Formats: sequence, C-alpha cells, structure tokens
Amino acid sequence: MTTAISNTTKFDAAGFEALLAERAGEPAWLTERRKVSWQAFEAANWPSSKDEEWMRTDIRLFKLDAFKPTAGVPVAIAGEQPLLSHGVDLGGRVESVNGAATLSELDGEIIAKGVVFGSLSEAVTQHGDRLQKAFDREVVSPTYDRFAMLNDACWTGGVVLYVPKGVRIEKPLHAVSRLSGAGATDMTKTIVVLEEGAEATLLMESASTDAESAGLHNGTIEIVVGRGAKLRYVNLQNWNNRTWHFAHQKAVVGKEAQLQWTIGALGARLAKVNQRVALAGADAEAQVNGVMFTQGKQHLCYNTHQHHEAPYCRSDLLYKNALQDSSRTVWRGMIQVDEAGQRTDAYQRNDNLMLAATARADSIPGLEIEADDVRCTHGSTSGRVDDTMIYYAMSRGYTRQEAVRMIVTGFFQQVFDRITIDSVREALGEAIGQRVQDLPNQ
Amino acid sequence: MSEFIPVGPITDFADPSSTLVEVDDESVALIHAAGSFYALDDVCTHDGGPLSDGPLHEDENPPAIACPRHGAKFALTTGAALTMPATQPTRVHEVKVEDGQVLVKLTV
Ligand code: FES
Repeated sequence: MTTAISNTTKFDAAGFEALLAERAGEPAWLTERRKVSWQAFEAANWPSSKDEEWMRTDIRLFKLDAFKPTAGVPVAIAGEQPLLSHGVDLGGRVESVNGAATLSELDGEIIAKGVVFGSLSEAVTQHGDRLQKAFDREVVSPTYDRFAMLNDACWTGGVVLYVPKGVRIEKPLHAVSRLSGAGATDMTKTIVVLEEGAEATLLMESASTDAESAGLHNGTIEIVVGRGAKLRYVNLQNWNNRTWHFAHQKAVVGKEAQLQWTIGALGARLAKVNQRVALAGADAEAQVNGVMFTQGKQHLCYNTHQHHEAPYCRSDLLYKNALQDSSRTVWRGMIQVDEAGQRTDAYQRNDNLMLAATARADSIPGLEIEADDVRCTHGSTSGRVDDTMIYYAMSRGYTRQEAVRMIVTGFFQQVFDRITIDSVREALGEAIGQRVQDLPNQ
Repeated sequence: MSEFIPVGPITDFADPSSTLVEVDDESVALIHAAGSFYALDDVCTHDGGPLSDGPLHEDENPPAIACPRHGAKFALTTGAALTMPATQPTRVHEVKVEDGQVLVKLTV
C-alpha cells in the first residue's frame, strides 16, 4: 500500500483528501460522515476564553499546524512496559503508535463468545454495519466543538469493544496508545458496547516514547453499558509533559447497569477533558474515580458531568488532585437531575493537595436539579502539606522526599480504596511515586 | 537556564501594541509603548485573564496594562498590581532589541 500522507501533510484540505484517499477501503457511510464533519470543522472557530467552559484553559499557544495527520503505515515501537497490565493475566490486548494499530490479540475462547475487541480502524471494514449503529448513536456529539469535529473527520486510531448479551469476560482487556516523535498525533475514537447482562474490564493507558517531543491527542470515548451489564473501565493518561490532550468522553449507563470508571491523569502539557456519565435507565449506578498528579507548568482541566435521566439511580464521583511546582488543575463538576430522576442519590467531591505555594487548583462544583425527591451532595477541599507531619516523619528518620511521598500516598488512599483492581491501584501508586519530587522549602 | 529567545522582528510590533508571544512554552504579553518594550506573564494574577488582550494605559504613571476580564491594572515596568481585583504582581521578563529582532529572557 502506498501512503498518501507524508511528513509534510497538515490538517488542511489537501491533508484531509490524502487521509480519505488512504482510507478508501472504509464504508461509504463513514467517508460521508468524515466529509460532513470536516466541513463543520473548517467553518468553526477554536474555543476561546470567552466560552465559559474554556475560561480557565488558555489554548492560544496551541497550533494545529505543528501536528500532522498520522501516516497509516504502522511502525511498531518498543515502548516501556505498560503500567496497568503489569502482572495481569490479560484476555486480549491492543497496541498503537501515533494512532495506527501495531498489535491486536484476543483469546480464542473470548472470540468464540462473539466478543469483538481490537482496533477500530480494522473493525469498521469488517463489522461496518454493526458499528454504523454505534456511530449513529452519537454518544459524544461530533459537533460539540471544533475538537470533536476534527476528531470525527480525521480519526485514525482507537479501540472497539463489543460484548454480546449475557457474555461475561473474566480476564481484563488492555490497550495502550503511544505517541512517538515530534508533531505526532493520536486522533482516536474508542467505542465500548456491553449488551444486556454482559460484563467486562477494560484497561487503557497512554504513553510517549520520549519526554521531549510535543504530541497531540484528540480523542473521544463512547461507552454504552446495556441493561444489567457491568463495566469496569480504567483510563490512565500518562503522556509526556509536552503533549496537548483534548478529549470528549461519555458513558450511557442503562437500567440496573453498573459502571466503575477510574481516571488517572498524570501527563500532558495541557489537558482539557469532558467526562460525562448519563444514568439513562432506572436503578443504574456509576462510580467515577479520578486521580491527578501535576508538576512543572502542567495545566489539566477536567469537566465532569453526572446526568440523572431516570429514577432510582446512584452516581458517586471522587477526584483527588495533588499539585507540584506551578502546575494548575481545574475541575468543574456538574450534577444534573432531570424531572424524571426521582430518588436520585448523587455525590461529587474534589480534594486538592497543594505541594507548592505556586500551584493552583480551581474547583467549581455545580448542581442543576429538576426533580423534587433527591439526595445530591457535593464538596471540595484544598490544603497544603502539613509541615508538622513532615517534621514528624523526618524526626523518625525519613528523608523529606520519603515523607512527602508518604503523605501524597496517604492523600490518594481514599480513592485507591475504591479501585477494585489490584494492578491498577499499584500502577497508579507507582506512577505517582515516580513523579514526586522534593518539596521546596516554603 | 533561561536565555534570550527571539520572538520576532521589531516591525511585527507596532507602537503602541500588546501581543501574545510564546517563549519557551510560556505565554508572554509583549508590549511596545512609547518607544519601549516590556514583557509580562500573559496571565492575570486575579483569575488568569489574558493580559495581552487588554487595553494599554501607556500614558499613565506608571504605564500599565489592564486585564480584559475584570480590569485589574499591572505596571509595565515592575508587574505590580496597581488596582483591584488583582493583589499579586505578575512576573516581568527582560526584553532587548538586537539587529532589529526582539528577544525575551524569562525570569525564573
Ligand atoms: S481575571 Fe484579570 S481582573 Fe479578574
């Protein structure tokens, strides 16, 4: 196969044509969809600080021209060992570099049950019709903003997981996306569909192959948890600190279904993520766990949304952030309860641990409630590391760094306790431990 | 170690004007006013407003720029917060002109 996309290709009309030419094997409905989204992208402006959602997240230094649509010929890159799969007996795995799949494996017995797990690019050519329904559902709106439009027009990578009715997958599935080289792009869509009564655990993580190259991730994640189904989903964002990360993520949780969604956000120069959960059927349940650790000049902005559309649903969100240096986090959380959402039980909380006086954390919780019989609570705290605790630990023979590491680990313990997958807890603890530096005296 | 980094030819920056420039991954407001160049963090210390988008008050004493968001003024020479709602100074950086090029050195 010849590659129409060269190193000099940009995200412009010619670059888009080259991308289409390269993906000529895709179903017609998808090509058409890409074209519509590309037109919308060309007509739209980037969000600016005038938009409420972007007021605290400045992207004026983001230049799309510094990045190129990914060439379609995958090159396997020996990256570091993935963190989340360490010591785990996996049922399947997918790896990609710069948005192109380099590896895809799934146990034969899982395949035999009708499960589909692999690269979305391959799946759209093999299971195009079934996937068209998932695309048409537009769990994430392709016109939400200019990033969503660009993603819908130009995605190359991503993962699909489809679990048929009543099928339970015991072994976790794992996917890792890597960015390699300056100007590299990871433009991905992840689609997860669990049919009625299905069960699965999906671990996804990202990494950069070096610390210096500026990369771009622009992704969407669309999850549908069918009636009575159970999904445990972990997403660890561990790019290098020069990567721009933009994401729209949404899960729709059906009647009596359960979702446990854990997010780890450690990397990126700037991240702007919309993470939404819709409780769409009665008695649905969602637990959302977030762990963020920032340093240097990182800026991570997470907008979370818990939408109670049906009665008797429970949602419980806990985000814990620790900040070093002059890094900044922004969390805006919204609990929305529709009129139909009677007997809702919803909770959201964000705690921040400031490890430096120059770090800054903004927490903006919100409630929008139209039902009259609900229990909705929210909270947020921000605190400095307690000097007397450090002093005490040092008097017992620990170094300052060890003391800080212990305090940070203790701070995260509450959210770690909620994570039911051992390897994930360990991997997050490990990754954070590696990033803890000595605290400046202040 | 920070060093002087070129941000563009002097002709790119009219007098008076304020422009957002990128210096070593940071947003810097580069201001050209009454024949002098000034560089400040492009981040208002009140609530992160983009200073380079705000109005210049180069004739005042001291010369200042105002945040477009809620109007806090900052001194061009020192970065001092001159009016509410900002209370903390913003960082100022060194600027020089050499061979028609403007260069900025970040204060660390
Ligand atoms: S953000 Fe600048 S004055 Fe409020």
